[in-house]
Amino acid sequence: MSRKAPPLRLLLPVLVISGLAALPLVYLVVRALEVDQGSLNVAFGPRTVELLAASLGLALTVAAGSIALGVPLAWLTARTDLPGRRAWTILTAVPLAIPSYVMAFAFIAAFGPRGAMSGLLQAVGLPGLPSAYGFAGAALVLTLSTYPYVLLATRAALLRFDPQLEEAGRTLGDSPLTTFRRVTWPLILPVVIGGALLAALYALSDFGAVAILQFDSFARAIYIQYRASFDRSLAAMLALMLVGLTFVLAWMELRIRTRRPPVQYAPRRPPVPIRLGRWRLPALILCAAVTTLSLLIPAATIAFWLIRGVAQGEPVRILLDSAANSMAAGTLAAIVAGTLALPLAFLLVRYPGRLAAAAEGVSQSAYAVPGIVVALATVFFVLNVAPVVYQTLFVLVLAYAIRFLPQATAPARASLAMVGPRLTEAARTLGDSPSMAFRSITLPLLRPGLVAGMALVFLTTVKELPLTLLLGPTGFETLATAIWGAATEGFFARAAAPAAMLMAISAITVGVLFRSEEPVR
Amino acid sequence: MKSSGFMSQMGPIAVRMEGVSKSFGPVSALVQFGLEVRRGRTLCLLGPSGCGKTTALRLIAGFERPDAGMVEINGRRVADSVTAIPPERRRVGMVFQDYALFPHLSVRDNVAYGIRSDPDRHVRVSEVLELVGLQGAAERMPHQLSGGMQQRVAVARALAPRPEVILLDEPFSNLDQALRTHLRVEVREILRRAEATAVFVTHDQQEALTIGDDVCVMSRGRVEQCASPEIVYAEPANPFVAGFVGVANLVHAESAGGVADTRFGPVRLIGPLTGQPVGRALVVLRPEHFETREAPDGPAGADHWRIVDRRFAGAEMLFEVQSEDGLRLWCEAGPQVRRLTIGDSVRLALRDVETVAFAMGTQPAVPPELEAVPLSESVSSPRH
Repeated sequence: MSRKAPPLRLLLPVLVISGLAALPLVYLVVRALEVDQGSLNVAFGPRTVELLAASLGLALTVAAGSIALGVPLAWLTARTDLPGRRAWTILTAVPLAIPSYVMAFAFIAAFGPRGAMSGLLQAVGLPGLPSAYGFAGAALVLTLSTYPYVLLATRAALLRFDPQLEEAGRTLGDSPLTTFRRVTWPLILPVVIGGALLAALYALSDFGAVAILQFDSFARAIYIQYRASFDRSLAAMLALMLVGLTFVLAWMELRIRTRRPPVQYAPRRPPVPIRLGRWRLPALILCAAVTTLSLLIPAATIAFWLIRGVAQGEPVRILLDSAANSMAAGTLAAIVAGTLALPLAFLLVRYPGRLAAAAEGVSQSAYAVPGIVVALATVFFVLNVAPVVYQTLFVLVLAYAIRFLPQATAPARASLAMVGPRLTEAARTLGDSPSMAFRSITLPLLRPGLVAGMALVFLTTVKELPLTLLLGPTGFETLATAIWGAATEGFFARAAAPAAMLMAISAITVGVLFRSEEPVR
Repeated sequence: MKSSGFMSQMGPIAVRMEGVSKSFGPVSALVQFGLEVRRGRTLCLLGPSGCGKTTALRLIAGFERPDAGMVEINGRRVADSVTAIPPERRRVGMVFQDYALFPHLSVRDNVAYGIRSDPDRHVRVSEVLELVGLQGAAERMPHQLSGGMQQRVAVARALAPRPEVILLDEPFSNLDQALRTHLRVEVREILRRAEATAVFVTHDQQEALTIGDDVCVMSRGRVEQCASPEIVYAEPANPFVAGFVGVANLVHAESAGGVADTRFGPVRLIGPLTGQPVGRALVVLRPEHFETREAPDGPAGADHWRIVDRRFAGAEMLFEVQSEDGLRLWCEAGPQVRRLTIGDSVRLALRDVETVAFAMGTQPAVPPELEAVPLSESVSSPRH
């Protein structure tokens, strides 16, 4: 690797990007420091303690719930003769693609006071369900949205796991289950906890689901504080506390992820699938139950309200407008993020060092900060420094692009690392100028990674709620804000169409992503 | 199954497999496979990779189920078409290729793993650790041990619950040559002192001949020969065994009444062809059956051979030599001729030996590398 100092034409854009990524947070700190005594008392008062307890309680419950669902499902799909293993593998991972606020909407539209299921239960004369709102609902919805983090991590660990270790446990007298408890579990525990921390992090940062389910976590309180009062320093204080909390979790996750296990094996032969025997039926019931809760009921509920909406004559034009807005914002964000990712990826691959690491760190921390906090900080900053651009598409797209930059940088970086400087040097010896070599060699080879990254940015942008809600131009409605607005006000029929549309766009984008993942040969 | 009669004269049978077939998809790993292990003895399954020897071991352990046939351990049926006793209830110990020590447990806890409900487990752990010579390492973690030490912990762990049979799956394949040779002797001693019944899988003939009380040579999912190491070497059952165990020259001859007439003169035969009438045969001649003498440069005769390759292995040395008519063989080079090099001439004389011969035309399982050579010529198959 070259140890040369990076050229200015690379350094300058990276510095600007890093500055933009860091600014909102820095500004948030500045604002929080301006807080007056009264607000300070409130900020450290009993209400905050309550919020803290509620948020942490939610995060811990979601983490525990995601382990309870994710680990058995991972084991069943990775290690046993569960019928339909491949199908379950895909089905149990799909909830990751559903925004939590869509899940929350589907949940209250099914189990809420006026929900489809509640109506059904009442019709057959059964007592009503416990309230879907509040802690229980939020914990359930977020667990169903986040257990795939644990599932995927655990599954990967189990597939890497040396079956000889488990076979050793068996010859030493342990049943498969005991072997799992004594051998496998202690060894995959770091991976499981890592996945659970990601789930907790998600629960802590989530805005849409807790807002729709009316559960007072930090994220919702910050939003209410911002909307309700003129003292925005208090909102800034709360936001900073949430950032602190997420950074602690993110740091723990990073530590667990980067700590190497003492011994690493590469399995010689795939493990013999464990026969479930009489456990086959309970295992299938578990898979079916999770899939029913996380996919079937949301899909059925959305379909139910969609049909109702059509019957009631919900306006189609609003739907098309918001879909067009979502697509436009997503496309612009993807283009900007792709452009910004190039200099950063080049710096990381060609000039690795402290500077590159710092730029990457800043970019990733902006990604780790909860969306509601980034949105709030950006609003503060723009209002004070450049009120002209407040609530313009320009700021919105830039905020998206900066926030989701790591999604574009990572695949671009991976592609670039495979190109290598020798190729462009070869082109140079064959008569290309540096820019010609870049266009004819580097860019084509970089393209698959860059396109994949941009598709990912598009997907995330289309699903993004808090940034859109706070930074979007007045009257600029996207699918995400349309769902949110209708769902919070209980217009289930109006939310169903944009929800269905959003899922369709997501599915298509994921399809494109998978196709672009196929290796270029 | 070609089992020599002498095995049945000793002790009760600890492990028996009979008519076992096992396929993985289109691949037949074992075909009508059978073996017997006597209590207290070590049986080596020897064969090239992919011959099914590891599958046989995993069937005894219970990790695989046979498609047909049956497995018995000390008279108890553990697997057949209806029975499938799980590994944990078979009382087998296993030593794995990659040791498979539990990385999160200390040496002591690894060894104690299988005997946690035993009130005397502390005594037993010390006992087996002493047996393998690792008394001082009980508190260490597996990754703090050398490869050889890890292997000995694996043996101790497998022995601790006093299994009815201990299975070793190429346990030395990840170790360097010097350590292998050393551990080979050591493990044989440990197994002997523990009076363990063992099945040992290897593709290394030296290892098999050193460790096994009995050796089963396998190829393509079948048993080629099961006998003591001495018999397998001196009286191979077929050309495959002859070529796989040690270096063998297969030389054309006319056999009649227990004597084969080779180009080197008559050879006394032992084994199946002894009582056969006159016929064409292939005689197994080992390098040590020849005495190699220096030949002065002069007119080439029928017993005149040119050295085309040398193989030095410390204690012994082999020459590959070629005759005027193109025949190649391996012969032992004694101290007087070791200084000779490629291109020099030697004379070969057959010592007074007894060996086996195989009737021509009814050849079973000739290894592929031998098939390439026309059988009208003599063939040789050097191996290490």
